Amino acid sequence: MESLKDYLHTMRSCNLCGQCKWILGPKMRGWRYAEICPIHQRFKFDAYSGQGLINIAQEILEGRLKYEDELIRLIYSCLTCGACDVNCKSIRDMEVMDTILALRAKCVEDGRGPLPEHRAIAQQIEQYHNPFGLPHSLRFDWLPPGTRISADSSIAYFAGCSSAYKHPEIAVNNVNLLNASGMEFKVLGEEEICCGVSLWRTGQIDSFVKTAEHNLDTFKKCGVKTLITGCAECFGTFRGGYPRFVNMDIEVLHITQVVQNALSTGRLKPKPKPNLKVTYHDPCFLGRLSEKYIPWQGEIQAFGLHVPPKTWRRGTFGVYESPREILRSIPGIELVEMPRNAENAFCCGGGGGVPSVNPDFTNWVAAERIEEAQSTGATALVSSCPFCLDSFNAAIKATRSHLRYYDLSELIMQAI
Amino acid sequence: VWALSLPQHIYKILEDIVGPEYISDKECILAAYRHPGPASQQRPAGFAAVILPGSAEETQKIVKICIRYGLKYAATTSLLSLERMQPGSVLLNLQRMDRILEINSEDRFAIIEPGVRHVQLKPELLLKGLNYPTASVGPGASVLANFIASGDHHMQHGTSRVNRYLLGLEWISPSGELLKMGSLAHGAGWFCPEGPGPSLRGLIKGFHGWGGSFGIVTKIAIGLDVWKGPPVIPGEGHSPNFQVRFPADRHKVFIFKFPTLDKVRDTMLEMGKAEIGSAVLKFFYATEAALTTESANDFWERWNSGLYQKELPRALWVYLATNTPEEFQYEERVMQDIVRENEGQPVDESIRKKYDDNLDHMFIIVSFLQRVLRLGGGWMAVKLGGDSVSQMFEVAKVIPEFINEFIEKKQIIDAPFNFQIIPMEYGHLAHIELLIFYDLNSPDWPKNLQSFLQRSAETDIRHGFHAASPAGDMEKISPLYSNFYSWNKKIREAFNP
Repeated sequence: MESLKDYLHTMRSCNLCGQCKWILGPKMRGWRYAEICPIHQRFKFDAYSGQGLINIAQEILEGRLKYEDELIRLIYSCLTCGACDVNCKSIRDMEVMDTILALRAKCVEDGRGPLPEHRAIAQQIEQYHNPFGLPHSLRFDWLPPGTRISADSSIAYFAGCSSAYKHPEIAVNNVNLLNASGMEFKVLGEEEICCGVSLWRTGQIDSFVKTAEHNLDTFKKCGVKTLITGCAECFGTFRGGYPRFVNMDIEVLHITQVVQNALSTGRLKPKPKPNLKVTYHDPCFLGRLSEKYIPWQGEIQAFGLHVPPKTWRRGTFGVYESPREILRSIPGIELVEMPRNAENAFCCGGGGGVPSVNPDFTNWVAAERIEEAQSTGATALVSSCPFCLDSFNAAIKATRSHLRYYDLSELIMQAI
Repeated sequence: VWALSLPQHIYKILEDIVGPEYISDKECILAAYRHPGPASQQRPAGFAAVILPGSAEETQKIVKICIRYGLKYAATTSLLSLERMQPGSVLLNLQRMDRILEINSEDRFAIIEPGVRHVQLKPELLLKGLNYPTASVGPGASVLANFIASGDHHMQHGTSRVNRYLLGLEWISPSGELLKMGSLAHGAGWFCPEGPGPSLRGLIKGFHGWGGSFGIVTKIAIGLDVWKGPPVIPGEGHSPNFQVRFPADRHKVFIFKFPTLDKVRDTMLEMGKAEIGSAVLKFFYATEAALTTESANDFWERWNSGLYQKELPRALWVYLATNTPEEFQYEERVMQDIVRENEGQPVDESIRKKYDDNLDHMFIIVSFLQRVLRLGGGWMAVKLGGDSVSQMFEVAKVIPEFINEFIEKKQIIDAPFNFQIIPMEYGHLAHIELLIFYDLNSPDWPKNLQSFLQRSAETDIRHGFHAASPAGDMEKISPLYSNFYSWNKKIREAFNP
């Protein structure tokens, strides 16, 4: 199910209940930080929400709403963070996020999307294999000499574009952690290219499928059975995006899962750190959007019966505990939770192709999250995604926050 | 084209009131306000514009502009009932007016604006040892809208309808005057909904939010109860598998089955006389199965087992929630005596356990009520009425006269006993709802629903019951009850600017 018309059941089923905009009841903590949809919180009109976007999708599909520039900008204002989707699915059998993605894909099919900035990124990926337009030959400059690489291993570390080019310290910490935990792995070297997340999330499906096919061929050619990545976006794309279009029969792990396992089996032993009160931000693609996509083809019969039964992705099994377990395992670190956490985490503002077209909005979203992190009394904000790092560091600077941002790999490396 | 467009000079005047960021007449923005609601048979007519006032003063100015230029307008927060609007209307969405203006712990009231949601107000109150009964809506619904609507809820046996918790309020009349009502009108504060003279609450109290009420309520005070539970909801697990566990020595759900509906009624009345139980109700059984399932398939698997139909058609749910273990033990002993005297038996433990795991947060924080919409999106409370407990059971007994043909045609789910009767204020009054599920993906649903409503209303009229559908034929029902509809129309005409 990927075409917009496949989601008519979702569109027709919407009852305007508003759960796509508000935190779940059992998670409610107060007046502030009760909204979970960034575009709704910022722009207020209900068109800016999961509900509004699926209403729009239905009207476009049924020919009642015509394309216009403002409509396209509205459709591409969404961060595709999936908070609406998980909150809706706590009570309903609807596919809000997938409908929004299918709506974007339809815009592209109809020649009205994506936005020019997204096309430019697609061209960079096509030409340079990364969204930044940097030479592919520099992709593995980050790899430190002395890293123990096992060319015969079926486990590969996938750095991802952002870590490889913009935040090499994350990639370095990750391979050092793998070495320290005694895990044998290899890297893909020049064979590694972009995972394609920005193509997928902006509806450029043909390009995304080409990228996915290329990567899958590479993984097979290199004998990869397990991928480890330190980038939440790559992780969520391999697990939630690739299986829609290619036969992704490769296990995908995030570095936090590997490290947690190493800690629990005693292969990594953290030493005490000076006291530090931290709060953890769940990246969308590591948390609620990271469940494996299992293709479903079937019929939705009367009264919602799915035949054959469908495996739903409701955000239940996101990677929530591994990063928290890691933080709790470091003596001296005190972990406090933000009001919006785990599947209800508020986005960093870095997704859905938004930073390239509306950086002000990205900054606004990140600043909102920084304020929430500060409200916990923490002095540090920890996460595990290079895109979150960019958003938060910019917001910390802009808001002159006292918080310091850490990638989780940095904290654990300091502790072992 | 859906909307009749707003003349540019009027748009400009409205824009000057709220600023350009908070008004729009763009089709893509308006698209989010013309999707049918859950029980509607038609799409809302196209609005000319939507406007988001930030204060009562801005709202009043907008109303006056609408009156001056002859524009129809309506206010909403939770987006329901918009299908009653006329084409070309201006929609005031009050969600920016979202302040909690005061929480008064000493006199136990809170003053709020329309945009405050349950999920925002309730946790602030729990922290202060306060709470209020939550009407049967999802956590994202407007608290104010609930309190000015009928406000029935599952715990009204031990409390009351939420509209009985309404205190002073601020109201913009249909002619654009900003008025204070109740004790507030006399400078006496927010503590009381009535001032000297006749009550005016009926003017603002709609049956379905603003559907049927007048003007726009911009602030209300609501009465609060004492809360002796935990200050923060003790939620565990991840969506949708939440568990909320309140102290087990003070909170428990019991479900008993009875040989007849009369026995259910008698047990309910006796529990009211004994003044025990936070919630005592003859509950919807198909609805409640849907509430505790994780998917439509999960529902069907459970429903098709036949266990619910065997155990629950004549069952009574009792939720004991007390402030101390001693109170709990007392209430449980009294409850067991009453149940025994009326030949009640516990239902299958697997069912009770499912509710025990879920109903704490269902009853107290109403966290997932929208699951009733899971089976196809179509849902309607066909009967909504209030009278004595005994009378509500009489209304229930005639449901089989019209419901079975719709079940046989598979237009609604096979759940002929899917009604609830909830006593209020320990049995002094009661409320009935017959809830049906239909599938919005079926092309015939509007016709089938209309037919169902008609048959339900005809049955009620035939038996002289007033518990007809709100969408029933008021002209026919009205003569049975002092021609209330004629009076209603006269009042409406008097206020029409």
